[in-house]
Amino acid sequence: MSKTKKAVFKVLIEAPIEDVWRELTRTDALLPFFFNSRMETPGLEVGAPMRMQSASGKYTGVIGEILEYTPPTRYSHTFRFTNLDDSPCRVTYELKEVAGGVEFKLIADGIPAGTKTEKYMTQGGDYIVKTLKAVVEERSLPFQSRFIILMCKLTERFTPAKCRSELWPLGNVSSTASKDHVVLDEE
Amino acid sequence: MNALFDPVFRALAHPDRRKILDYVKENPGASINDVSSEFSSSRIAVMKHIRRLEEASLIVSEKEGRVRRLYFNVIPIQMIYDRWTDEYSALWAKQITKFKYKLEAGSRSRARKKRA
Repeated sequence: MSKTKKAVFKVLIEAPIEDVWRELTRTDALLPFFFNSRMETPGLEVGAPMRMQSASGKYTGVIGEILEYTPPTRYSHTFRFTNLDDSPCRVTYELKEVAGGVEFKLIADGIPAGTKTEKYMTQGGDYIVKTLKAVVEERSLPFQSRFIILMCKLTERFTPAKCRSELWPLGNVSSTASKDHVVLDEE
Repeated sequence: MNALFDPVFRALAHPDRRKILDYVKENPGASINDVSSEFSSSRIAVMKHIRRLEEASLIVSEKEGRVRRLYFNVIPIQMIYDRWTDEYSALWAKQITKFKYKLEAGSRSRARKKRA
């Protein structure tokens, strides 16, 4: 079996758990913590396909299938970059109420080792967790996040053609990113 | 804010804990056994260090089956960075540290060649 990796990012967010959950799972606005993408899904429920689209809607960067959806504590989906041929991994968000706020965890596992997916996931996790914290707590974005979002916008027209949204219709997501294809190293 | 940073600096203040952090960063998913086999200190001492690192959120442990697996969490380090850098200083600081690492790597490899 191919080797897979796991990465964990944890932060305390000083905000009510409902606010964190709402921001994490919203489909009606661009998500600054997810590189200003919009989450598209026919319904936030287990088994539903989801995809992350660029601000213009022209490109789809990530596709997946919802594996767990337990408001306001746990949300998990398969995760595959459309520009790469790597097998999908799994992303899980865990929210736990603690004194002073919410312990927010992003766990990425089943990451195919030695791939570009691994590189993107370990770099992206830090950005996602940090930006989500800023958005929920301060309602504003740190410079680094604003810069990265600007870069995404400027480079959108150089996105590979294979990421064009029409190639990744929502109906097909489950067949291309089935949870059966996420390889996890068993104990 | 200090309540958040104090445990991080306390955790980082011990050389053994910094070494443990290096090891866990390089070996995500390491068990406590893996860590203690790498260090000459007693298992109890290693467990105590890991607890300190966990209190500071520098290490996050995840129960997988019967084993507790350890992962390095970069977020507290990122928050230290965010507190004392801004866009301008970050740019220059990065250039300067890159310059330092490059020169040092060059002089280390020259010293190795000389010894050989």
